[in-house]
Amino acid sequence: MKLIDRYVVEVGKNLPLLRGREDIEKELRSTLEDMFEDRVSATGRVRDEAMEIELLKEYGSPQKVAATYNPHPYLIGPRLFPFFLFVLKIVITVVVFVMLGLAGLRAVTDTPMMGMDFVNIIGGGLGNAVSAAIAAFGNVVLVFAILERVLPDKEIGGFNDEKDWDPASLTKEPDPDTVKRGEIIVEIVFTFIGLAILNLYFEIFGAYFFTEDKLFFIPIFSDVFLKFIPWINAIFLAEIVLDVYLLRNAIWTPFTRIAKVFIEAAGIVLTFLILSTPNIIGFTAESFANIPESSVDAQTLMTVFNLSFPITMIIIIIIQGVELAKAIYGLFKTTYKAK
Amino acid sequence: MANTESLDNVVLELRRGVIVLAVLSQLNDEQYGYSLLKLLSDQGLEVDQGTLYPLLRRLETQGLLESVWKLEEARPRRYYVISAEGKKLLPKLKKEWAGIVSVMNGMLA
Repeated sequence: MKLIDRYVVEVGKNLPLLRGREDIEKELRSTLEDMFEDRVSATGRVRDEAMEIELLKEYGSPQKVAATYNPHPYLIGPRLFPFFLFVLKIVITVVVFVMLGLAGLRAVTDTPMMGMDFVNIIGGGLGNAVSAAIAAFGNVVLVFAILERVLPDKEIGGFNDEKDWDPASLTKEPDPDTVKRGEIIVEIVFTFIGLAILNLYFEIFGAYFFTEDKLFFIPIFSDVFLKFIPWINAIFLAEIVLDVYLLRNAIWTPFTRIAKVFIEAAGIVLTFLILSTPNIIGFTAESFANIPESSVDAQTLMTVFNLSFPITMIIIIIIQGVELAKAIYGLFKTTYKAK
Repeated sequence: MANTESLDNVVLELRRGVIVLAVLSQLNDEQYGYSLLKLLSDQGLEVDQGTLYPLLRRLETQGLLESVWKLEEARPRRYYVISAEGKKLLPKLKKEWAGIVSVMNGMLA
């Protein structure tokens, strides 16, 4: 096979679509032959392999030449991308919530949990949610990659139709001091849930172990933690009082901004104190000493909780830090606006 | 270096915009790809093969060009010519082009 034929075959292999491939190869061969003829007559040289190499190098690599015939050099093009993102967000959110909901349901209904079961259910649920999210992402990408290639342009136009768009639908720039009621309501609900768990159901959090005739329970936190509960309650209550006040007044004032800064700062201090207090975790070698060895993997439980507790607390401190920064920034903006 | 690259990119964009008009205007008589490339080049418009051939296929798909294979000097060549639809479009494109040139001349004067 001549060099030029090998080149044409290589371009053909890299062409994106089967349809028209033969035509493109035939036209390319014809063009290259014309170019050789031109070169021979222009330079007076004899056509040889060196000249072929030189000319093919100028023409470009087979991959590059084939790519110029690709009408869709992307998996999902700009026509469909906004709609793809819109669908992807919905699908991933639904999938993750469903998987986490199922894990939560299992954790609640499979009681009492036996030692590592709790860790397995929560860890498994998180793992399943991540796997399902990745699978959902792959499927959405696959569907849109196919749509990109089979939908005609006029069909795709419908997704980005600008005819019905009305500039009047643009929302006004929100006043930074306007209270976002939705956020506040969500915050109140979750703070109440936190208060209820902390004060009414706190003692059920721990590891349950059944032996032949006995039930053992080891709480997650030791008695040392109990001294922090009033302080946590105080911060939660202050948060709820502030939120209710904000809901009633619907506007941030310098006073409420300062209150928010204090509450967030108090939260950070308290979390830091909890983190730095020794012997706060209930899963210790002593607490596992009375349980028959065969029924519990004490070492694993202790490792998991002693490792995950500081990590969780550090994450909470980071989140609180962000909230504090937002509160200070809000205070600055409100004060600046007032002047 | 960066300036040269920017200039090259802008020039490329400018040319890309006029290639369709240039190609349609030169295909009242049928031409095969390489002869069209030389025809454009002889008149001062250098077009890369990687741009021209896919463009010819695209214009044919859009119905603005027609093509036919012919055997010449023992070599098959694909000849392109402007279609009836392309002929209807060309005067409108020329008018648009004249308008753009006039506006730009005014701006750049």
